[in-house]
Amino acid sequence: MIIDQLIWVPILTGLIVLVLGEKRSNLSYSLSLVISSALFFLSIYMYLLFDNTLASYQFELKVPWIDRFNINYHLGIDGISLPLIMLTTFLSPIVIFTAKTSPKNKMHQYIASFLILEGMMIGVFSSLDAFLFYVFWEAMLIPMFLIIGIWGGKNRIYATIKFFLYTFLGSVFMLIAIIYLYMKTGSYLISDFYEVSLSLNQQILIFLAFLFAFAVKIPMWPVHTWLPDAHVEAPTGGSVILAAILLKMGGYGFLRFSLPITPDASLFLAPIMIALSLIAIIYIGLVALAQTDMKKLIAYSSISHMGFVTLGCFVFFIQSGAIELDTINLAISGAMIQMISHGLISAALFLSIGVMYDRLHTRNIEDYGGIVTKMPKFSVLMVFFALSNAALPGTSGFVGELTVILASFKVNIYIALLSALTLIIGAAYTLWMIKRVIFGAVTNEKINSLSDMKLIEAIPLSLIAILILLIGVWPKPLTDTMNSTILALSYLVNG
Amino acid sequence: MQSMNLELTLIMPELIIASAICLLILVNSFLTSEKRYTGLIIGSITMAACALISMVFLIETTNSSIFNNHYRIDPLSTGLKFTTYLISLFIFIATKTNKENTKSELVLLELFAILGVSILASSNNLLTLYLGLETLTLSMYGLVASKRSSEIATESAMKFFILGAIASAIFLYGVSFIYGLHGTLFFDQFNNETINNSIEMQLALAFIICGIAFKFGAVPFHSWVPDTYQGASTSSALFISTIPKLGAFALIYRLLYEAFIANVEFWSLLILLLGLLSLILGNIIAIAQDNLRRILGYSAVGHIGFILIGLSIGSIDGAIAALAYLVIYILMTATAFMSIEVISTEKRAVVTLTDIKDLNSTHPWISLIMLFSMFSMIGIPPFIGFYAKWIILSELINSDMLVIALIGIIVSVIAAYYYLRIVWYMYFEKNELPIMKGSPNIFQKTSISLMGLSILLLGLYPSPIINFCRSIIPPFLLID
Repeated sequence: MIIDQLIWVPILTGLIVLVLGEKRSNLSYSLSLVISSALFFLSIYMYLLFDNTLASYQFELKVPWIDRFNINYHLGIDGISLPLIMLTTFLSPIVIFTAKTSPKNKMHQYIASFLILEGMMIGVFSSLDAFLFYVFWEAMLIPMFLIIGIWGGKNRIYATIKFFLYTFLGSVFMLIAIIYLYMKTGSYLISDFYEVSLSLNQQILIFLAFLFAFAVKIPMWPVHTWLPDAHVEAPTGGSVILAAILLKMGGYGFLRFSLPITPDASLFLAPIMIALSLIAIIYIGLVALAQTDMKKLIAYSSISHMGFVTLGCFVFFIQSGAIELDTINLAISGAMIQMISHGLISAALFLSIGVMYDRLHTRNIEDYGGIVTKMPKFSVLMVFFALSNAALPGTSGFVGELTVILASFKVNIYIALLSALTLIIGAAYTLWMIKRVIFGAVTNEKINSLSDMKLIEAIPLSLIAILILLIGVWPKPLTDTMNSTILALSYLVNG
Repeated sequence: MQSMNLELTLIMPELIIASAICLLILVNSFLTSEKRYTGLIIGSITMAACALISMVFLIETTNSSIFNNHYRIDPLSTGLKFTTYLISLFIFIATKTNKENTKSELVLLELFAILGVSILASSNNLLTLYLGLETLTLSMYGLVASKRSSEIATESAMKFFILGAIASAIFLYGVSFIYGLHGTLFFDQFNNETINNSIEMQLALAFIICGIAFKFGAVPFHSWVPDTYQGASTSSALFISTIPKLGAFALIYRLLYEAFIANVEFWSLLILLLGLLSLILGNIIAIAQDNLRRILGYSAVGHIGFILIGLSIGSIDGAIAALAYLVIYILMTATAFMSIEVISTEKRAVVTLTDIKDLNSTHPWISLIMLFSMFSMIGIPPFIGFYAKWIILSELINSDMLVIALIGIIVSVIAAYYYLRIVWYMYFEKNELPIMKGSPNIFQKTSISLMGLSILLLGLYPSPIINFCRSIIPPFLLID
């Protein structure tokens, strides 16, 4: 029942906010802030009730929905979905909180979009019925489309339509695959799909259909081009949610659908997946180096970091000899930690860029320089986030990337070496940006008149910083939550 | 042979409509005031009464043939009639309360068209069918031409009339072939196997299918659809885009699924071809349009393509999926046209995309409903349009027509662009000079809100529509 509330309370609050209208947007702001924070505490309560030792779904809720096609309103969580739900409930109040920092037209619609989006994202992570999953997965596009389109930058219409069409094209193939699996099993239950026996050719087709949906979402090279556009044009809140949570749905999809439903096809296509991941990690990392726009740089860095997620999902398949359960465990845990860690770091970086953008209204790296002289407190946090993005030991970014690289070492040393290049490239593009933006001489006169960040901007950034540090030095609570589920998944993958 | 009394009871809705038409003619000749609501009042009461009666028939699952087997009252006909009456009631309330739409000639023509649909739905004989078809089509010509002062309306009515007359002639030609071959016009008597396998029979069917395709507005017989949507007044366009489609479904089901089911292999191929052409061309041409109504016109062609593809499966499940798609399509398109209608004023009708620029600032509620309707037409859950696409795709995959399903979804993604464009003009464009647009009255607001919310609520719980369609389509085909 808790999951039910996590989904529907924000959506209903969003509708109430819409009804309250533009004139009462202050009331709406406080109301949604209270509700979304309460939801975060509710998710902590759920975390405390969650039994780490069980691999099965918990907090299950099953109500018949469309009898004729055996579709159920079926919710439940396991060790993979719980951390992602917590990430969602943690970041949503932060995004709503920061809505006030830059005044906007139609504030009530802005807040309502995020609240409705929050409910749908939790729905994606907790659906156990493939049909329900697809409903949430697609419905999510609508608020995101509006957020980028209404409150975005100059080129927002192009960016949002590109975003919509790309993701929509990807997911319709998933719909075909889901319907096909229903025809085979007579049920839309995801765990029933795990047991269906398919020939290798069928598996490959289904794998590709799912791959298209998830690859666009993650996004993998070469279907990543919508992401830099969407990120640059989206308002700060939109970028945060997009980078921190929407991208994770692709990785979640691989773990929930592709690996357990089509393990043979995953084995067969793993070399291609690994190649694509390495291209994302190295090539996109180099592309990030060349960016002049801060948001674009972080967007490319996101693609590069998400390459570790796909690498972690597939690297163990190419082990010579029998696949060891330990390797699978390590790789998938690494992918999961990387998802959570990247969710926090990219959110923090986009928020930081938002803080600067609200003051100077430019995202060009050239326009900045010497921020540290005027905004020392902000600079401390910004540098910290940049270092975590470059996987500094002691931050969550290090844990995720190291785990995936370790798993790669067990499999193939060349893959490990290539993926470890990111430690150099990532440090290069992030630190070079920091050097040009935060340090150096003040070249832009406007910077001299800047004031340091306000409390309203400091609170969300500090909260995220604490969490990044916490996972960096003590990842055990996170890994403990996931362990049993990932172990069960490893058995499924290993047949 | 049933008693006369029972027969009259069974055609009660048709009788009520016919009497309402007579009453309306009489009343109108005595009333001369320009602003009169007789049409609204008589029309709405008639539709409410008819909807109630057909609901009773539907609940009792009345199933009988009357008038020497010429006329049939079965779940399908009562179901289609019930849908027709209910939607017409909404249309009357949403359009005729507008002070500029009170001309009761329009209601008269619309009632004639509804009568035509009722006869079509109940026909069990090619002659009865043709009677209903022509009653429907002739009143549609009148509806399109009703905006007398407009050049474009007259032009489109003329085009519509000429093309329509040709299509009717072709259809009738096919019917005469059938009569010559079988010597009968009753649907249940075309069961001579030698004749059914003959080439003449296929020729006759091809003619008949041309006629059907015209009524549905399928490519290559679609050119009247965008023209009439553009030319007719918004209220007439709203009517033309919805009610006749139910008649066309009755036409196609009665003829192909009941009368000529023996030739299923032949006609399913033709219907599939028409469906694919309509789906692809309709949706692609719509991208190039700037006129909001032409966009909706071509979008209608595209949706018809999906419905025809569903029908081409040639199974009961396919027909159910197509009917569900049709009902859902009517709900969506009626909502879209109603939104346009209620924000139009006499001086400033909403015609092009720029007319709805920044609608979100002036009419947030109407633009939200329009947004529902647009995303529903794209096929994004949780709106009802998603289930329409999904149920057709399911049936296609179930019948091993995976390639057709793939074409269908890819075209849906292409089509998403022009629907998104409508949303973009409403939400993303900034309007420097606010244009005053019509302010809907309470009746219009209520009916449009009901329609818009049903798109969302039925989307959250679609079982009623699926079950309704399942209950009115007969559970087996004659061929089985």
